[in-house]
Amino acid sequence: MDALALACEDIARVSSKLKKIQRLAAYLQPLDDCDLLLAVQFLSAGPAAQPGVNQTLFPSEEKTSLSVGRALIREALQMATGWDREILRICFSETGDSGETASLLLRGLSAGEPMTLRHAEQLYTQLSLARTSARKRELLTQTYLRYRPLTIKYFIKIITRGLRIGLMERMVEEAVALACAVPAASVREANNRLGDLPQVALAARRGELASIETRLFHPMDFMLAKPLERLEDLADPAHWLIEDKYDGIRSQIHFDNGQVRIFSRGMEELTQAFPEIAAAWKNIPGNGIVDGELLAWRDGRPLNFNILQQRIARKRVRATLIQEVPVIFMGYDALLHNSTLLLNKGFAARRQALESILENAPPLLHISRQHKAATLEDVDRLFRESRERGNEGLLLKRQDSLYEPGKRTGSWHKLKRPFGTLDVVITSAEQGHGRRAIYFSDYTFAVRTPNGFANIGKAYSGLTNNEIKELTKILRAASTEKFGRVILVKPEVVLEVAFDGVQKSPRHKSGYALRFPRILRWRKDKKADQSDDLARLEALYNSSIT
Amino acid sequence: MQVQFTEDGIHLPEIGLWLDNTQPCAAAWLSHAHSDHARGCHAQVIGTPATLRLYRMRLSLAENQEAPKMFPLNFGESMPWKGATLTPYPASHILGAAQLLIEFAGERLVYTGDIKLRPPLAGDTTEVIPCHRLIIESTFGLPIYKLLTREAAAQRIIRFAQECFDDGQTPAFTGYPLGRGQEIVHVLANAGFRTAVHGAIAKFIPVYEDHGFRFPGWEPYEAKATAGKALVVVPDHGRVLESSGKNIRRAYVSGWAALDNARLRGGAEELIPYSDHADFDELLELVERSGATHVDVVHGYTEPFAHILRSRGLSASAPQRASDRTNIEAEG
Repeated sequence: MDALALACEDIARVSSKLKKIQRLAAYLQPLDDCDLLLAVQFLSAGPAAQPGVNQTLFPSEEKTSLSVGRALIREALQMATGWDREILRICFSETGDSGETASLLLRGLSAGEPMTLRHAEQLYTQLSLARTSARKRELLTQTYLRYRPLTIKYFIKIITRGLRIGLMERMVEEAVALACAVPAASVREANNRLGDLPQVALAARRGELASIETRLFHPMDFMLAKPLERLEDLADPAHWLIEDKYDGIRSQIHFDNGQVRIFSRGMEELTQAFPEIAAAWKNIPGNGIVDGELLAWRDGRPLNFNILQQRIARKRVRATLIQEVPVIFMGYDALLHNSTLLLNKGFAARRQALESILENAPPLLHISRQHKAATLEDVDRLFRESRERGNEGLLLKRQDSLYEPGKRTGSWHKLKRPFGTLDVVITSAEQGHGRRAIYFSDYTFAVRTPNGFANIGKAYSGLTNNEIKELTKILRAASTEKFGRVILVKPEVVLEVAFDGVQKSPRHKSGYALRFPRILRWRKDKKADQSDDLARLEALYNSSIT
Repeated sequence: MQVQFTEDGIHLPEIGLWLDNTQPCAAAWLSHAHSDHARGCHAQVIGTPATLRLYRMRLSLAENQEAPKMFPLNFGESMPWKGATLTPYPASHILGAAQLLIEFAGERLVYTGDIKLRPPLAGDTTEVIPCHRLIIESTFGLPIYKLLTREAAAQRIIRFAQECFDDGQTPAFTGYPLGRGQEIVHVLANAGFRTAVHGAIAKFIPVYEDHGFRFPGWEPYEAKATAGKALVVVPDHGRVLESSGKNIRRAYVSGWAALDNARLRGGAEELIPYSDHADFDELLELVERSGATHVDVVHGYTEPFAHILRSRGLSASAPQRASDRTNIEAEG
């Protein structure tokens, strides 16, 4: 663990992605098998393995699987250092990181004993098994005082699931590949099949990647569609299979003779939120993975996404809500059927598998209708028909396209048109990642209200690097307050954003959020008081739900 | 002795003296020549000879404007002032930086100005002055700030430069024009590196030289000829350099470099936590060794630091002033 902490510090010191990967690979390469498993585990999935879900790198959660939250980390630090709550609060707010604060305050206090990776695992296990918060706090306090502060820094960061050294899960995969001298794509693909990067790393080292079988019940990467800016850019309309583009929740069904789990594109599990869909899948014989969309549905038509929204983020669903917001599953691809992986089969073959899976399916499970077009005019007509059916636009899939997980290659295209645009004002900015880490590249923006501004969304794409550089200077000068990576700024800069819809949102003070906002232009010509106001947003929302 | 804390500085009404006042006044003590302390054009100014010389270099007088009347005062040299005695002592923050001991009616008051207790990379070494009342800064007045000694900082500066040269890259160090900049140049030049110095920093080098510091072989920075040299530039220029595609790696030498988020804030890859301000432990040591029975904390983390002093049984307060740490770009 001491060496892992040093390696992380070393990785943080360079900004080049390649160098980070090289440094990580150099650390991983000489580890024995057991340490390799643990190191990859800690770096990619946190303190404790939870097979199946949340294998993404550090999803933001207040509490972790150890039930050790930030409050507990802080209380233990209070006990270990003697600093009172108020001083600790200020220290935490200055660093913006629990692990770093602990390490800084423990200098000169800890016994400096070495900690191995195996020892770290034992400590995590003890923390996880401890029944009461008091016991956890006691364990953590002892840990603080016993080991090296730098090691504690990463011991805690692994618990809070934020290393903040500019390391994405993809980079851990690449480092594993480099350390084991195998192609990065083979590690990526194996991890997509298995969903367990530590085991994949071990297999990579042993040259056994090819024999890694697909494991059900962990989310695989979704294949993505490239936006088609203009219909005229489509070269050969006859080569595409065309489906409606649905405005629902993209999801992946894993089923195995009565066992079912549903995952979202954010790799979260949705099974509990959509029990009627899970129940319908229980009737499907055999096993498989199906890609599709959850849609609110009534009288043969999709309902607006705003309505489907009510079904999200609920652990338990009331029966009445299931009635009020009826949902169906619209299947459009099959990734696995009866233990045969279909990723490398052409779309036609996958479609055939999909049809055989959903043959005699219960009424809640639909198959997306396919169309063919001979000319661009046909495509345009299909687009309009799709919109009339209440869908977003079209999805075009090349007939021979493979299912390429996590990729946006252009063998799938989506055709949609923005719902509208608004002139909004930046109210806070966040530092980006990787090459953009030194710039404020993520912007939260607002519309005018009678007494100020109210946030409606956040966007980070659409500006050129030069514009981001220039904006960074302006925003830094306009900053009024700072919280870790985020600065609040005086509302001065106006952006024009395009978006695909407006929805209700309790998260924003305005009560609304934009769907898929992207920046069209920096409106240097406009002042904040010329931006759009809440009334316009409300009008847009009202027009969208009818 | 009466002390009034205002937004513009500290006022001692009984002896008609202002300490580091930013607005023009009748008579001001200048603790050092940074522009946030020495910027007003006062009728009379008192300071060490080095501070007054640097102050003059930075002062731009309007036409017909009368130059301030200057009273240079060497370290340890006393001067009577309206019934009080003023004696400056080194504060080692930058060249010429001084604490001021004010003795009045049997009371000893010390105003530290910006201060560093441990010896600096280039400058005088601070003495702790016994006093009854201490007015101290707290730029790094939180226990998370523990900074490098000058030896460790010099080592890190040299190691980073060498690493860059070994990889065929050009190291760029950023420092403020007065103080940190010269300190970094002093380390690099004396370690035998070819050192190119940005004009804003270079213009103060002769002043340091006149006070006995040597910068062997430094040369003016030229944008067109950077390869093979260690560059010392002002922070804004550091960012320009990095995006210039010249294979440059940047190091940030500052007390703020003690926190990882400095990397995101300034964009430098290498963080070298060294400052011309005292770190937390030094501040505590200064307070304790001064023997002061009351402490006023006037800059930085004033409220938390005063709180910490009180929890150690001292009488301490944080008079409200505008210069408290609200600006994240504060010099450090």
